[in-house]
Amino acid sequence: MKTKHLIISIIILAGLLSACSGAAFTPSGWPGLTADQNTAYLASAQFVYAVDLSNGSQKWRFPEKASSSVTFYSDPGVTPDKQIIVGSYDKILYSLNTDGKQTWTNKGNDHFIAGPLIMDQAIYAPNADKNLYAYDLKGNLLWQFKTNGPIWAMPATDKACGCLYVASMDHFIYSISTQNGSQNWKTDLGSALTGTPAVGTDGKLYDGNYNSEMIGLNASDGKINWRTPLKGRTWSGPAVDGDRIYFGDLNGNFYALQTSDGKILWQIQADGGIFGTPLVTKDTIYFATEAGSVYAVDKTGKVVWNLPVGGKIYTAPVSSGDMILVAPTGEQAALIALNTGGTQRWSFTPPK
Amino acid sequence: MWDVLIINPMVNLLLGIYSVLGHNFGLAIIVFTILIRLVTHPLTVSQLKGTQKMQEMQTSKKWQELQKKYKDDKQKLQQEQLKLYQEMGINPMSSCLPTVIQFPIMIGLYQAIMRALAVTPGQLLDLSRHIYPFINSAALIPLNNRFLWMDLSQPDRLFIPGISIGIPILAILVVITTYFQSKMMTPPSANPGDSSSQMAQTMNLTMPLFMGYISYLYSSGLALYFVVGNLIYIAQYAAMGKLNWQNVIPGFLKNSAKEVAPKKEASLKKK
Repeated sequence: MKTKHLIISIIILAGLLSACSGAAFTPSGWPGLTADQNTAYLASAQFVYAVDLSNGSQKWRFPEKASSSVTFYSDPGVTPDKQIIVGSYDKILYSLNTDGKQTWTNKGNDHFIAGPLIMDQAIYAPNADKNLYAYDLKGNLLWQFKTNGPIWAMPATDKACGCLYVASMDHFIYSISTQNGSQNWKTDLGSALTGTPAVGTDGKLYDGNYNSEMIGLNASDGKINWRTPLKGRTWSGPAVDGDRIYFGDLNGNFYALQTSDGKILWQIQADGGIFGTPLVTKDTIYFATEAGSVYAVDKTGKVVWNLPVGGKIYTAPVSSGDMILVAPTGEQAALIALNTGGTQRWSFTPPK
Repeated sequence: MWDVLIINPMVNLLLGIYSVLGHNFGLAIIVFTILIRLVTHPLTVSQLKGTQKMQEMQTSKKWQELQKKYKDDKQKLQQEQLKLYQEMGINPMSSCLPTVIQFPIMIGLYQAIMRALAVTPGQLLDLSRHIYPFINSAALIPLNNRFLWMDLSQPDRLFIPGISIGIPILAILVVITTYFQSKMMTPPSANPGDSSSQMAQTMNLTMPLFMGYISYLYSSGLALYFVVGNLIYIAQYAAMGKLNWQNVIPGFLKNSAKEVAPKKEASLKKK
């Protein structure tokens, strides 16, 4: 083998290693989405976009120019004083004003994968460094709470008890105080937790785990009341609606469970995996699938409409007024607004 | 096809070893490397035999004559050398075939490590779809990516108080072990000036640097595989009695000969 052939082989190997899987870390997630009455905030790849809900036009994007080291895949949060709080894969929590300008930042030790919970005058930001960080609205650290695994789920809250519920990849769900982050209790749910727990009005908590189970617990002490085996793994937490919870699994099954005992009331099969927490309105439940469809289902499980919008949809649908917003990946349109009747109102394609 | 034949088996084997070894991914990589080396041991033996045959041929009269005859015409020399290979039934690739076969293993193992560690939602989703049903992944996920001072999903950097930059310990070990492996496994050349010998020397210098560069850039799990793999390679050659210590310790054989000679003389005098 000639020397030059050897060198060429080495270069090809380096290329294969790079092409096959990039450097040590490649960001890999799906868009984050939130909306208020006038604006949708979409965190997608290298930008956070503010989109005018009246017509789907871009108001601004952050940052102005793309940077390969900065990527956003978590749901933004909006504070009472109109800051947009968004975490990135470059380990930074950004605060932006309503014009898309950066006001402050805070650094974690790992990626911000889940969106922050904004409650009253505090921001609770989970990080993959195993910590939940609590900041005031100016970005000052109030306290931090450490689990034993990355935190990929937004915490849930129960204002009545002043509690936060944190689901960690270390298999535990924690109840902690909003005041100082002290732990009330923790319970082992048996496998990794990626979904935000749902808090019922009945003093109960519900969350799914990586072991294809939905679990009901007491919010006061973490005692497990029931476990319901499912046909597939769940990703996001369920949505609570009175005495029922609704959620989907990664095999495309959509369930309605009774909160008192976890009994499956009905289930339907959709055309693809269901990642996001469903959106529940008075009469209808909306969810999206990995096959790129948006479903509207009534509370008996009957499909009212099913609209293929294209791409893959992992992000939970969000409502604003009478619009349903979905954020597909792999499509030109990054954000699509639908009427509740299942027709498209507008779509937003990020400018290049 | 690549996933089905290479990645999925590697991922699941890593997970299986991980579950048996007390959830230690570093140890799982080490054991996995040992297994790979055992499976490819026949190739290593074949490589050694190929190298020996080439060595014998290069000391033969015919080979020497070709070097003299065509010393000013490299192209003709290579043509004649190829003919000689064919005449003597030697495959010139047999000495580097095992190295080439290591390439897909290296790439596959890197992908398997990154897939198994699953540090992002997309990666965890991807991993979930490649785990065999009989592996109890629910109890294993997420994998413990810490081993000694390292995060196995990240490039190795050891931060010492007072030093602002991280020291790439594993990358340095990869350079050292690859260098020693190359030197100890290269047989002494009968013609240090000829093209084969020069190529071997070039490779002994460039390969360690290249492997060190890869280890510096990529996850420490891959670098751990390189270090352990090199050490096992050296042990395999030592077990076959084929380590060339003289390449590493110049004068090793001469010194040994000098020690043996006086001892022999002394034992003869006693008689």
